[in-house]
Amino acid sequence: MRKSLLLAVLVILGSFAFAQVKIGVNLELSGRFAAIGNQTLNGIKVAHMQMPKVLGQDVQLVICDDETTREGSIACAQRFVNEGVVGVLGAISSSMSIPAAEVLQDAGIIMISTSSTNPQTTQIGEYIFRMAYTDDFQGKLAAAYVIKDLGAKRVAVFRQIDDDYSYGLAGFFDATAKKLGAKTLIQDFVANTVDFTAQLNNIRGFKPDAIYYSGFCAEGAPFMKQLREQGFTQQVIGADASDDPQCPEGAGAAFDGWIFTGFATPNLIPDPEAKKRAEAFKAKYFAAIKDAKPGDFNGFVLAGADSYNVLVAAIKKAGTTDIKAVRDALANMEHYPGVSGDITYKGTDGTPKDRTIGFYQYKVKSASDWNKIELFGKSTAEVQ
Amino acid sequence: MTASKISSRSTIVSLLIGAVLVVLLGARINSLENYTFARVVQDFLNALTLGSLYALIALGYTMVYGIIRLINFAHGEIFMLGSYFAFYAMTLTPLPWAISLLVTVLLGGTVLLVLRSLFNLEEPKRTFVLSLIIFGGTFFLLTFRKMGWVEGLALSMLATGVAGVLLEAVAYKPLRGAPRESMLITAIAASFFLQNFGQLVFGARVRGFNAQTILNKPLNFHIGPETVYFTGILVVVPLITALLLWVLNMFVSRTRLGKAMRATAQDAEVAQMMGVNVNQVIALTFFIGSILAAAAGVMYAIRFGQIHPLMGLMPGIKAFTAAVIGGIGSLPGAVLGGLLLGFIEIYVVSLFPTLSAYKDVFAFVLLILILLFRPSGLVGEDLTEKV
Repeated sequence: MRKSLLLAVLVILGSFAFAQVKIGVNLELSGRFAAIGNQTLNGIKVAHMQMPKVLGQDVQLVICDDETTREGSIACAQRFVNEGVVGVLGAISSSMSIPAAEVLQDAGIIMISTSSTNPQTTQIGEYIFRMAYTDDFQGKLAAAYVIKDLGAKRVAVFRQIDDDYSYGLAGFFDATAKKLGAKTLIQDFVANTVDFTAQLNNIRGFKPDAIYYSGFCAEGAPFMKQLREQGFTQQVIGADASDDPQCPEGAGAAFDGWIFTGFATPNLIPDPEAKKRAEAFKAKYFAAIKDAKPGDFNGFVLAGADSYNVLVAAIKKAGTTDIKAVRDALANMEHYPGVSGDITYKGTDGTPKDRTIGFYQYKVKSASDWNKIELFGKSTAEVQ
Repeated sequence: MTASKISSRSTIVSLLIGAVLVVLLGARINSLENYTFARVVQDFLNALTLGSLYALIALGYTMVYGIIRLINFAHGEIFMLGSYFAFYAMTLTPLPWAISLLVTVLLGGTVLLVLRSLFNLEEPKRTFVLSLIIFGGTFFLLTFRKMGWVEGLALSMLATGVAGVLLEAVAYKPLRGAPRESMLITAIAASFFLQNFGQLVFGARVRGFNAQTILNKPLNFHIGPETVYFTGILVVVPLITALLLWVLNMFVSRTRLGKAMRATAQDAEVAQMMGVNVNQVIALTFFIGSILAAAAGVMYAIRFGQIHPLMGLMPGIKAFTAAVIGGIGSLPGAVLGGLLLGFIEIYVVSLFPTLSAYKDVFAFVLLILILLFRPSGLVGEDLTEKV
């Protein structure tokens, strides 16, 4: 009798405990992309603070660190399958997003990669979405800028051959640059390369006017340091992966002048309404994250926040946590007023229709004294 | 007699292979456009620096293997600790005197205890002088001014050496006499532990190691119309490596403790019977190996400008490869292997630009070839004394 009573109490308590909507968060919180991973997580957390409930139930974030490894990302995805989450936010990079997407697509769980830009990611299946633009736009825009605006005729391209993002992006850049009549020379490196001296010697004879770097900061910082040490004074252009404090902090003053394309920050978002939302979010972000430095607020934070926002909005619209219904609501989403701009998934492969790519430049005095200048923003809708 | 025949034959074969390689490389250099003499010099300097760093780390692997037949997989993490110690020494000093005093007592006390047990300094007078130097020196370095790279290097080498001894005492000493597999697995565990410990304590982020030292000053020179881009570190790294190797060689071949090390390497049991304190010798080996790893860590950080808790992984694997290629257990072998690896990495990229992504593959293919055809390594011989 007493036993069954206890059991009943446990069951009731248990059902309370389970009256929660679980959302998985799969991010690179340690390892090479730790800085961007933690910025994204902060964005998600602040968005969660503002909307902690959906359909009258608490939203519980289940956070998993993939340690910036593919195996870690797969392990996180499998953990989420077992935990019964509605959807998964992350990962930030294409190399970690693609393997996780394959697991989650098979299990029929929604995934919204916050900043994977490789076109492949969302083509894995109908459950996979992203918050970013894709690299064909990013590469095209960067190449047009380097060739038309900077007037470069010869461009050396550095790509990390064992990374889906870097390899793909360099390809798009290279194709557009050639189409615009420039000559290119591609140099390859692999993850954790620190000695670029031989590659730099290779491009010396090519006499480039500009240098494009499609990799990450763990390699980008030593790359830039050695580039300047070896007497190269050319303009270097990077991509969204260099929107990472590890770049200026790692290379110090050598990083000064680096231009990169990345997620738009509030000032560069053309839509005035979206800009207002982003500004409001920025204020909340700095109120909530006490130890945040000014340089920590960037497009990755906004992308993280919006990945949470759209998933919660889709659950609300579906009126249920049934994953299939939520997926359909997400896939039919039109003009969601996100903090990173307008979000429309209807009629796309899971990539928002209109995204803004910002152009930025680093001003670095030293590893601890640096900032980013916003140059201009370009909408992907314009390029289409 | 047969042995000498075989060795002379294999010497001839290796000389032949070497000659063929040199001719092929020469032909390749000739066929490349833009490959000027200045570039040959530039590549050579870069390769020498990288190779020296690998050599310094490889020495630690090879010494430990020579003494207790253990591949110390945590050696890459010791290298990482070395660079972090120097980073903190160079960025946090000068410390307020109270904190400095506390650190001096803790650090100096540990260093003193370890040094005493390593070098038989039980005699009161010696202990007194030693403790005066250690406590006074540490306090002086920490309190009065910002440390430069030389002090940072010295302090980091000492602290890392002690960390290596502690690692041995905690992780490997209890397993003395256990099967070698247990030790090996423990070494892997120690490596993981230190990586995660580093992420927890130092933070998972990459940190810039941007101390403006004389080593980073450009000292470019010209060969004809071409410039060779040169910084102080390119001379200092090979020089420090050569110096440390010379000191190590003197220590092993000329001192009593060095003799004890060689004896332990040959046969630990017999050495013990002859009155050699084997535990002390093993701890000493870890101490020296870790000192060399710390030197490599600091110079690696100065050269490449950044440090992070997982930075020891790749250099660790490379240096291990270098030690095996050279002949694990042999000191000159480790240096030769390290230099060879450095040269392969630079020259594969510069002579075969399309294959540059596979530069690590070349190193590991060489490792496989060595293991297949000359398992004792380039210099190592099965029966000679190790260390």
